[in-house]
Amino acid sequence: MEAAIQQHAVPTKAEFHMAIARRADRWYSACLKITRSPDLAADAVQDALLSAWSKRSQFGSSARLETWIHRIAINSALQLLRKCKPDRFAALETEIPDESISPHDSLADTQLESRLAVALKELTDIERVCFVLKHFEQWRLKEIADELGTNVGVIKQALFRAVRKLRVNMADMRS
Amino acid sequence: MKDELLTLYYYDDGLTLDERGEIERAMKSDAELRERYDTLCRVLDGLNKTDTAPAPTHLVAQWHDTIDRAAEHEAAAASGPPRLFHLGSFFWGTAVAASLAVAVAIGVLLSGEQIEGPDPDDGYVDVTNGTGREEPAAFSRGLLVHFQQSRDQLIDLSPDSNGARADLIMTIIQQNRLFERMAKQNDARDLARVLRAFEPILLRLSSEDISAEDAAALQAQLAFELNIVLTKLARRASDDTQSIDI
Repeated sequence: MEAAIQQHAVPTKAEFHMAIARRADRWYSACLKITRSPDLAADAVQDALLSAWSKRSQFGSSARLETWIHRIAINSALQLLRKCKPDRFAALETEIPDESISPHDSLADTQLESRLAVALKELTDIERVCFVLKHFEQWRLKEIADELGTNVGVIKQALFRAVRKLRVNMADMRS
Repeated sequence: MKDELLTLYYYDDGLTLDERGEIERAMKSDAELRERYDTLCRVLDGLNKTDTAPAPTHLVAQWHDTIDRAAEHEAAAASGPPRLFHLGSFFWGTAVAASLAVAVAIGVLLSGEQIEGPDPDDGYVDVTNGTGREEPAAFSRGLLVHFQQSRDQLIDLSPDSNGARADLIMTIIQQNRLFERMAKQNDARDLARVLRAFEPILLRLSSEDISAEDAAALQAQLAFELNIVLTKLARRASDDTQSIDI
């Protein structure tokens, strides 16, 4: 299948269906980690699929379709998060605890793995986004800074705070 | 050494080669630092062992459907609409139909003959039978002039001036709409209704699939309406009254 995708400059509908069948869980999970909202995560994947379909002629044969859509989904999730929480997301250098617990948060926690969900819940939006993009999505610090419109130093600080909090949280859970 | 540097070392990002080499040398010589780093690795590696949250099945089905619908929409757009609306045909059809209808009505007016209207018992509603509204005399005269000019222009048109005829009919339709809006603004709803009633008849007459019998009936209806309106307009304007009662 991968070879077939790489041979085609423009992915077919069947290849999109195959990609959904194989990787939809990963797309959704990644978007859920970023947004902590099942609705936003679902919208992000939906937006990503439509965007990927409409721009499939731009798909490079050297990339994997699934990876390409994954990246678009992450960007969609970030965009949706920015729209929903523009003020909080802009507070890059502050440590504003996200104390608002909504039904969506609770649902997200049940859908995310519980230990990770508890650990991520203690992070601010910017800390969580930086950590998820760095740790799970393996973006470079420079990529994250460019995506969020800031500098690498700010991203590093958010990442450090996130790791520090996660270590404490995970230690608490173990004890 | 700060944990921040160990974090960057773990992610292999944000450090120069020299900085990485320095950390590696430090960990070889410092057991406590090595232990701190191993602890960090255990915590962060442990997060990777979390299972992927499965997407709800209804969402996955929705995403498959999204691709199907996008593909269908794209295919439909590529093949074009099933039947394109041809503007030229519309103008020509409307021009011919309206010209015929108006010409019949004008001919009737000029000759003084009457066309028998549809039988009221057949459910026909005479749109000119209003309850009586007052419009300014200037508006009434303007409307009368509009119909008179239209009549004169149609009479003066040569049979083979297709383009000019089409333009004229479209102008008539547009002016009808203008007078309809003015009638509404003057709270002359009955007159507005009369003016509005002409348009669907014209549009219906311009359609290609209308039968000869239906076309004749519509032409008779339109001629009947035009006859009444023109007659009333002319009578009211000549009476020099301040209102028109349609």
